[in-house]
Amino acid sequence: MATVKLTNVKKVYDNKVVAVHDFNLDIKDKEFIVFVGPSGCGKSTTLRMIAGLEEISGGTVEIDGEVVNDLQPKDRNIAMVFQNYALYPNLTVFENMAFPLRLKKNPKMSNDEIYERVTKAAEILGITEYLTRKPRALSGGQRQRVAIGRAMVRDSKVFLMDEPLSNLDAKLRNQMRAEIILLRQKIDTTFIYVTHDQTEAMTLGDRIVIMKDGYIQQVDTPQMVFDMPANLFVAGFIGAPQMNFFDAELKKKDGKYYVEVENGRFEVRGEKAKMLAEKNVGSQKITLGVRPEHMSITHEKREDSLRSRLEVNEMMGSELHLHMVTENGKKIIVRVPTLTMDDETKKHLSYGSELFVTFESKAMHFFDPETTNNLLI
Amino acid sequence: MSAKTEQHHMRMSTKNRLSNTVIYIILILMSLIWLIPFICIVLQSFRVESTGQVGYVIPKQWGLDNYVTLFTQTSFPKWYLNTLFIAVVVAVIQTVIVLCMSYTLSRLRFKGRKLLMNFMLVLGMFPGFLTMIVLYTVLKDLNMIMENAVPGLILVYVASSGMGYYVSKGFFDTIPRSLDEAARIDGATRLQVFYKIILPLSKPIVIYTALTAFMAPWGDFVFARYISNNNSAGMNVAVGLWSWLQRDTISQRYTLFCAGGVIVAIPVTLLFIALQKYYVEGVTGGAVKG
Repeated sequence: MATVKLTNVKKVYDNKVVAVHDFNLDIKDKEFIVFVGPSGCGKSTTLRMIAGLEEISGGTVEIDGEVVNDLQPKDRNIAMVFQNYALYPNLTVFENMAFPLRLKKNPKMSNDEIYERVTKAAEILGITEYLTRKPRALSGGQRQRVAIGRAMVRDSKVFLMDEPLSNLDAKLRNQMRAEIILLRQKIDTTFIYVTHDQTEAMTLGDRIVIMKDGYIQQVDTPQMVFDMPANLFVAGFIGAPQMNFFDAELKKKDGKYYVEVENGRFEVRGEKAKMLAEKNVGSQKITLGVRPEHMSITHEKREDSLRSRLEVNEMMGSELHLHMVTENGKKIIVRVPTLTMDDETKKHLSYGSELFVTFESKAMHFFDPETTNNLLI
Repeated sequence: MSAKTEQHHMRMSTKNRLSNTVIYIILILMSLIWLIPFICIVLQSFRVESTGQVGYVIPKQWGLDNYVTLFTQTSFPKWYLNTLFIAVVVAVIQTVIVLCMSYTLSRLRFKGRKLLMNFMLVLGMFPGFLTMIVLYTVLKDLNMIMENAVPGLILVYVASSGMGYYVSKGFFDTIPRSLDEAARIDGATRLQVFYKIILPLSKPIVIYTALTAFMAPWGDFVFARYISNNNSAGMNVAVGLWSWLQRDTISQRYTLFCAGGVIVAIPVTLLFIALQKYYVEGVTGGAVKG
């Protein structure tokens, strides 16, 4: 249970490569923070600097108000779960989990207390029956549970997790993800979780830190990151399939905003129009972003629609992923729920058929094509 | 399975059996040739009727006389203890140094690490004999030659042990670093990580290192001969036994020499039989994931 504060944290490797630039973040007590980004974005490096496994090249890391830059990992009172589990192969599951407790000094922990703590953690994680086994006799999911158990028994201030689910298969990953959410309610401490999987980030985090090339792109709640991405990178990274982007023109006329994309012309209404006006955005070139699930298709032309040709139709069960090409040759994806689709449209869903794509003002995201920043932030 | 593929299989297995047979015959022949000197020595050591070299292998009269003489009337026990003492001390010290060295080079990143490794690799390519004259002078100044050769020899054998880091570093490299990191986060110091987590996982390489460290002084002749310089009290078994093979001694001592050779071979043979499994793992351990 602790706050973690990173101030201008920097990581420069010996070969002068800068992995993390001026990282600033305030993590509240008992918060679940997720670092997410593509590989090489510096998320794991940042986590390892907090853990003390990686030297901090600049700035300070504070845990509970205490600067820990020069403390050994063992003195930082943290627990960590690794991607490859990092269980000690020579020790049984019980001894793996007891390992951090046995190393505790002043006061030294009694065998009874160690036994009690380990069995309690094992019970929570459902691994009681494996306590006498060696790690190699366990499945991937069970090993991950042991790794979590080893981190759990210690009552540490901060719980670090470095891509803990990446080595599991898809089904098990979903299951473990749900279990981590449950676990979190039981442990009730500060979590820092690193992943490259945006679904994990969205479902687990109180707040998400999205990183790219060593820079923080955005720090916000999952909902805000999804609704109001700070820039093109975040918009493209969060959400699957990724957001469709168009080169477009924003026109302001008589106090009204219009977006012109290819041959379509969309009036911006409601909340988004109000926000544009508040930010005093004028007529300009923009990059328009619309999520696949916020688009719909019709078979008749409207003014606010884009003529497109269907290339691939992926049947996903509850929805279709339509891969289309617009008149200007732009590839886009539209997600359409199968349940509410009318019969007339269904007829047009063959390869090469012409369809019209449309979307509402609520679904529009406006980005500056130069800076790639969201115009509404 | 069709008749044709079955036939094919048959042909394959006959072929395999044939080539295996040839390989085994060659191997058996080779090991026979390799074993002949050993068998001769063992047989000669039980010869009672004469003590010099003779033109036959199988003794006419069998007995343990040579062994009894060896331990009651010669300096052999002294040499044997010298050698055993040197080998054990060297094995212990060298194993500790080599393992610490290789773990450090495998895990810690410090300035000059690469340079140091390359330097030691190149240095290791020079034959150790090049240093012999210098070593003799130094040890003479330290009064560690002739009857005091034992500590001198230990010093010589142990001195360069850090350079033998290569195989065990390769082994440590295959142990995931996240194990070290997990242990350090769990509250272990670097030293605790080493002996609580890494060493138990490295049994084969520990044994391999200790065995090779034991073997080198156990069988060394060149340095031992040079530093003991004909003083019986400072000799090891190799030098001592060799001194029995001189023109003026060989006719009385040849069967004694054979008995001594057998006694020298016993502990090494036992060690290898007991630790064979680990030794093979250790030799190949650097290459594949352990």
